[in-house]
Amino acid sequence: MTATSTQVKEDVWIHTSCGGCYAQCGIKAHRVDGVIVGLEGDPETPAGSGRICAKGTAQLHTLYDRHRLNYPVKRGNPKKGVHEDPMWERISWEEAMDTIITKLQNMKDRRGCYFQATTVQTSEIRFAVPAFMRAFGFNNYWVSGGGLWCGNGAHFMNGITHASWSIIPDWTHNNYTLYFGCSKGHGAGHAALQSAQWVADARARGMKAVVFDPYLSTQASKAEEWVPIRVGTDAAAALGMINVILNELGVWDAHYLKWKTNSPYLIKSDGKYKRDQATNKPLIWDTEDNRAKTFDDESIRDFALLGEFNVEGEQCHPAFQLLKDHVKENYPLDKVEEITSVPVSTLRRIATEFAENAQIGSTITIDGKEFPLRPSAAIFFRGSQGHVNSGWNCLSIDLLNHIMGAADVPGGAMGHGPPVCHGHPNTGKPETIPYACPDGLMIVKGWVYDHKPYPLREPHAPTRLDLQDMFPSSIYNAFTIMSPDWEKYLKQFKIDYEPEIMINFGSNSVMTMANAEDITENFLKKFDFIFSFNIYQNEFTEAVADIVLPDCSFLERYTPCVTFPSTFCHPTGMDHWVWQIRQPVVEPMFERRDFNVVMLELADRLGIKDKYYSVINDLIPVRYGGEMSEKYKIQPDGDYTWEDICDRVLKDRLGDDNGLEALKKTGLVKWKTKPEEMYWRWHVPVRIPIYFEFFIDGGQKAQKVLAEFGAEDWLDLRFYTGLPNWFPCPSHTEKNPDFDLWGFCWRPSFHTQSSSQNNPWLDEISCNDPWVYLIQINEDTGKKKGMKDGDWIWVENTVGKKIKGPIKLVQGLHPEHLAVAGCHGHWARATPISKGKGQFFDDLIMIGIEYTDPLTQGTDACVKVKIYKMKEGER
Amino acid sequence: MARYGFVIDLKRCYGCYTCTVACKAENHTPQGIDWAKCVPAEIGSYPSALRQMLPLVCQQCAEPACRDVCPTGATQVDENGIVFVDPDLCMGCKTCMMACPYGARQLVSEFQTYFPDAEGDLDPYEAYCKKEWEEKNGYGLATKCDYCRDRVADGKQPACVEACPAKARTFGDLDDPESEVSILIRRAAGFQLNPEFGTEPSCYYLPPR
Repeated sequence: MTATSTQVKEDVWIHTSCGGCYAQCGIKAHRVDGVIVGLEGDPETPAGSGRICAKGTAQLHTLYDRHRLNYPVKRGNPKKGVHEDPMWERISWEEAMDTIITKLQNMKDRRGCYFQATTVQTSEIRFAVPAFMRAFGFNNYWVSGGGLWCGNGAHFMNGITHASWSIIPDWTHNNYTLYFGCSKGHGAGHAALQSAQWVADARARGMKAVVFDPYLSTQASKAEEWVPIRVGTDAAAALGMINVILNELGVWDAHYLKWKTNSPYLIKSDGKYKRDQATNKPLIWDTEDNRAKTFDDESIRDFALLGEFNVEGEQCHPAFQLLKDHVKENYPLDKVEEITSVPVSTLRRIATEFAENAQIGSTITIDGKEFPLRPSAAIFFRGSQGHVNSGWNCLSIDLLNHIMGAADVPGGAMGHGPPVCHGHPNTGKPETIPYACPDGLMIVKGWVYDHKPYPLREPHAPTRLDLQDMFPSSIYNAFTIMSPDWEKYLKQFKIDYEPEIMINFGSNSVMTMANAEDITENFLKKFDFIFSFNIYQNEFTEAVADIVLPDCSFLERYTPCVTFPSTFCHPTGMDHWVWQIRQPVVEPMFERRDFNVVMLELADRLGIKDKYYSVINDLIPVRYGGEMSEKYKIQPDGDYTWEDICDRVLKDRLGDDNGLEALKKTGLVKWKTKPEEMYWRWHVPVRIPIYFEFFIDGGQKAQKVLAEFGAEDWLDLRFYTGLPNWFPCPSHTEKNPDFDLWGFCWRPSFHTQSSSQNNPWLDEISCNDPWVYLIQINEDTGKKKGMKDGDWIWVENTVGKKIKGPIKLVQGLHPEHLAVAGCHGHWARATPISKGKGQFFDDLIMIGIEYTDPLTQGTDACVKVKIYKMKEGER
Repeated sequence: MARYGFVIDLKRCYGCYTCTVACKAENHTPQGIDWAKCVPAEIGSYPSALRQMLPLVCQQCAEPACRDVCPTGATQVDENGIVFVDPDLCMGCKTCMMACPYGARQLVSEFQTYFPDAEGDLDPYEAYCKKEWEEKNGYGLATKCDYCRDRVADGKQPACVEACPAKARTFGDLDDPESEVSILIRRAAGFQLNPEFGTEPSCYYLPPR
């Protein structure tokens, strides 16, 4: 059997960007005679720096998977619902587009259109989704898993305090990291591969990681210490440790708090700033001159952080004093232990280690410039934010960084991706430097959504179908649209149009939000017509789509910028800025067509192409920092292909030499980062809040709007305060002792939300892994219940929703909990590899106002459950 | 002339299975055959339990038990110490599978598609993988990892080494005391898996803690 290689006509490597998750690593695709036969990391880019993970490599099979959707289809079975057989009928593109256009043209009211999009193909949605929405005239939008998988709490809170989407330690200099419910550097999509290398280097160097998590996750296994904590109690643990640091150790970075936060701002007894009557600016107390001054008065000699001051007859306290007193009074360690189950001694020791490792007062010189060195960081993500206390869980953890001055300086917690970019040397774009509001607080520049995290949205009578625009923060919610009372709410809030047409891009929302039945029956079935772009049929399309269009995979399409806006996924740390594109390595196979190309055609045929172009011109400065040059603006009366638009965006941002043709050769353009960009905190004249005064106003205004519609009880104003708190989820207050376990889901590092399970290589790994497809409970707990490995059980929540599966008794789980890998247990007919494997945890998640964070409208993802063995024959 | 070896740093590895998939993509091993297996295990008890991944490759023994028992001479050692299988000589008798104390040998008896439920011909990628496998190997063979000999001959690193996101794998010449692998083994207390088997593995591990 010696090699008899046939004549090879073509053997090339194409530079592009991975789309296996939202990390967007730079890759090279190996094409031989028109077939992609290998994917490798591109060593030229810092986004992956030459590596590729299991998910990325496995995309070879996703590209060619014979279960993929290759032709447009329409629903043959008019009945919709979870588990319905859609009886697809193949149709031509012509018929599909004619039907869609007729439906869109005949809408009763265009506002009744709704765009739903996946969070996996993040860069694909930046142009077509907002451009079509504004050009066609609707504002209803939702990303799949919004509020749960995606970060209503995390993103908006990090936007307020770090001008970015997330936070990540500066692993190059960090010595001590507290992880709360996140896997950054251990498979999370947050610059996945660069982070994995940096954290491995840090570990080898001796960095200590401490992981607070009910589950012995990948990152907990790699950490020096795993601290099992009761699910959803993160804020209590963080505030308890802040109490130790401020009131027992008496340690804080006074210089940082005085100059970079609103700590010295004077607060009146009503919780609001004491403002200067002439300028309306917040006042501080100058301890040298012994009088109040506006926060930005150039004559300030020193700020009071502590004390009580009489200003114009009113007793006022610096915000920092209030925080210090608040944690002392409300988060004593014995109470925190009761809430979290973490022993007092552990909390005290970790708080002490965290404070010691921050090395307050130390500095470091990088490229000849001196920076504060604060090698302690506390980070979080989905595990912390998937609760009723979503927003405050995130902020409480982040306050640990700010009291230490360990924010966006070497060693500390960094805004991720890096929010401060001075732009490409050719053009100065993208230029994204946060700026200050009149109160001195930071406003992010270059944000993915139209609504910035700060200042808060001005609550007003709602115009959206999810009513979200009457709330001050975040971008979407589930508790309105997924309620059986949705139609009643629309009437109550005087929404004078109805849901009519949904456009779905790649999302599988039936599986990525909460229980499938509620989202399907209460929400998705209310649309008259749903058309969807997908590479596979999935649970969503089979349940509710009327027409499904075969989309291209990331290896078959152009995307002009995948690593910007940098706040989303750009690697954070000293290296290079990189602007990567995505390009087709093979032409779209069968009748697959690229989403962006089809949306352009739709706009053209609907007669809204000029508006569509205008919106793109408007969006580019917002998303990619800096005005468009006249030369490259998309002319409303012009006629452009998607490639033309990509070319213009690239030349405008990166210079004439860096158009699409140039980037097709290299896949990327890179330029060196400056230390004052990465470690920007002391180089940008802004402050951030450690006291959230604006929430008070935001809550009151929202309450007023709600009251106008008879819904004042919707908003729990206890959440709208200046100071952080821990509030329980319904699972924490469940009284029925039968429901004795907290259920939650975890994510294996080798899967991406609900999109990767049908990949045969990733399935093969999952089958060989001892935990992915099984329901885990602590071994002692299981034995007490008379259960053993392999027993099939029911897991039932407090309203009778159930999932089932074989049990695995483990040591790596808090004894009061049950853990399931999220987004498994698929049932779609079209994805036989993933079908029936693992469990669909979300079926236990309930939606409703009691499961919703009043501050961010994030959704609670922990549930109280009982378990019992299945009877013979029930399997 | 060299003695090629691996160092796998268990402290850097976070158990992402990239090596497993990178190997499959490079070597086109059929369904169910993993030359770069990962075996996770739970160690200790709550709350001080640990989950540790053990990434495996062929241990590339200096005294390979699989070669010693091979009745046809199919299992050979090349000039760089890499143990490989000559597919023309292997008859799939499985003696090596019984002899190898590390379970590195896997019998490939026939082609099986990853998409048994799909209709029609193999897709272009699976067809390419099948062709590549058949040209280089074939069926009825007791196969194993050969440290990506072809890549190494081209001056590249084995696929799993190049892909590893955490840079947990290092490849090099154990006979050269100044090579990165030799230095790592010396400095970080590198150890062989079950040295008592007496086969002198060329694969070393660095401790997880």
